[in-house]
Amino acid sequence: MAQLANGKPLPGKLFVVEGIDGSGKSTQLDLLTKWLIGEGYCVAFSEWNSSPVVGTTTRRGKKKQLLSPTTFSLIHAADFIDRLERQMLPALQAGAIVLADRYMFTAFARDVARGVHPQWVRGIYALAVRPTVAFYFRVPLDEAIRRIMTGRPQLKYYEAGLDLGLSSDPYESFALFQKRILQEYDKIVDEFGLTVIDATLPLTEQQEIIRRIVAPHLQGVLRSERSAWREALTKEQLYGRYLKEIGAERGQQA
Amino acid sequence: MTKVKFYGYGLPGKFPKEFPGRLIVLEGTDGVGRSTQVALLREWLESSGYAVTSSGLKRSMLAGKGLQMAQEGNVLGTHTNVLFYATDLADRLEREIIPALRAGFVVITDRYIYSLLCRALVRGVDRDWAYNVLGFALVPDRVFYLRTDLNHLIPRVLNASGFNYWESGMDFLHKGGYYENYVEYQSRVIAQFDAMSEEFGFHTVDATRGVHEVFVDLRDGIRKLIKGMKPGSPKVPDATQYGLDKQLE
Repeated sequence: MAQLANGKPLPGKLFVVEGIDGSGKSTQLDLLTKWLIGEGYCVAFSEWNSSPVVGTTTRRGKKKQLLSPTTFSLIHAADFIDRLERQMLPALQAGAIVLADRYMFTAFARDVARGVHPQWVRGIYALAVRPTVAFYFRVPLDEAIRRIMTGRPQLKYYEAGLDLGLSSDPYESFALFQKRILQEYDKIVDEFGLTVIDATLPLTEQQEIIRRIVAPHLQGVLRSERSAWREALTKEQLYGRYLKEIGAERGQQA
Repeated sequence: MTKVKFYGYGLPGKFPKEFPGRLIVLEGTDGVGRSTQVALLREWLESSGYAVTSSGLKRSMLAGKGLQMAQEGNVLGTHTNVLFYATDLADRLEREIIPALRAGFVVITDRYIYSLLCRALVRGVDRDWAYNVLGFALVPDRVFYLRTDLNHLIPRVLNASGFNYWESGMDFLHKGGYYENYVEYQSRVIAQFDAMSEEFGFHTVDATRGVHEVFVDLRDGIRKLIKGMKPGSPKVPDATQYGLDKQLE
């Protein structure tokens, strides 16, 4: 059950995936999304750092290296709260399934690894909905680094944690930064009771585990009326000429 | 000296116990005349020989532009608004204000966390949450609260740019039009500032008076705070000492 910060239950369900880059969490979430949609559930998806409201500021800050640990934390919190207020919460209130690629635990791990106070950042995210299940994809550091380095040789400034001044070599800095993040995640797993998935298992095996954990929570969740407008068209012998203009077709996919 | 003290968890990093500069805040509701006073004070201090800098909301290198754009689109939710403004302030604090205080400047800022708190609380944001978010802020040397009332505010707004969406609380007061909501919103904001006055030790200045009277109060208040901060001015040597008068002959 997804719960508001004050403990009040919400009709929808919130599943989140967490883990360092290269843990395979996004792939697993994608597989889960496709399965749930295929089963006819109403699914809303929300991704870390994707709010259009603060996006230009975050990009600017990263590109020009303007972000300090504090402003990095605040701008990502603004991103999160905007998506919470406008995407996730309304969907949960309506009884839908919300899938989040990264959630507040990312901030608890990353921002604290950057040096902000753990209680400060936890306080900011006190507004967040408590997830139904939060999956943490645990992967050994060297394995994660090996996965990331293949096919993506160029590391970005903040991604590599170069702002921390741990090392001037981006690869070395990245490894040191990720190690710190992993240590923070380990604390978070216990503190918030995250569900740990062994991310070194074969892809399909992980997905089976995830689905087995998710399935019991799906009772009574809102199902989408698939092609409700299609039925109306057939019954009324219409073509739906103007439906494209209002984006009904896209709406059905969502 | 500015004691280095933060309201909450503060900023990460190492700080000395004191900064040689001074942080002075001007607070008060929209249209009360803060920016006019900041402009006057800055000029007065500079011409008196002090090192001065000024700052204000939405002026950060990082978030100023993005915040302006988001506001124009009226798409900011209440909590996002707080966090976006917090980002803007934190950036200015770290990039401009603290370096200036370390260097011994008098920093005058047009608004600070109190305006952000005030707007948030009036909109029903949880108090503890807002206080925690803004807990990175440095405690200033002095906060001057320019206090006015609606009867004085309305003519000023009408003479200036008219009623603004955010300054009329249109984002959360859904019952009335611009005028009714402006009156309702500004009354609540002023009441909120009044309520915070004691908690944060505001120095209240009656801003229903003319610009000059307000300025004189602020100037006298600031004078005491900045005592001894002016670099000494050595005596300019007389032309005769160098025998210039003879050379000119």
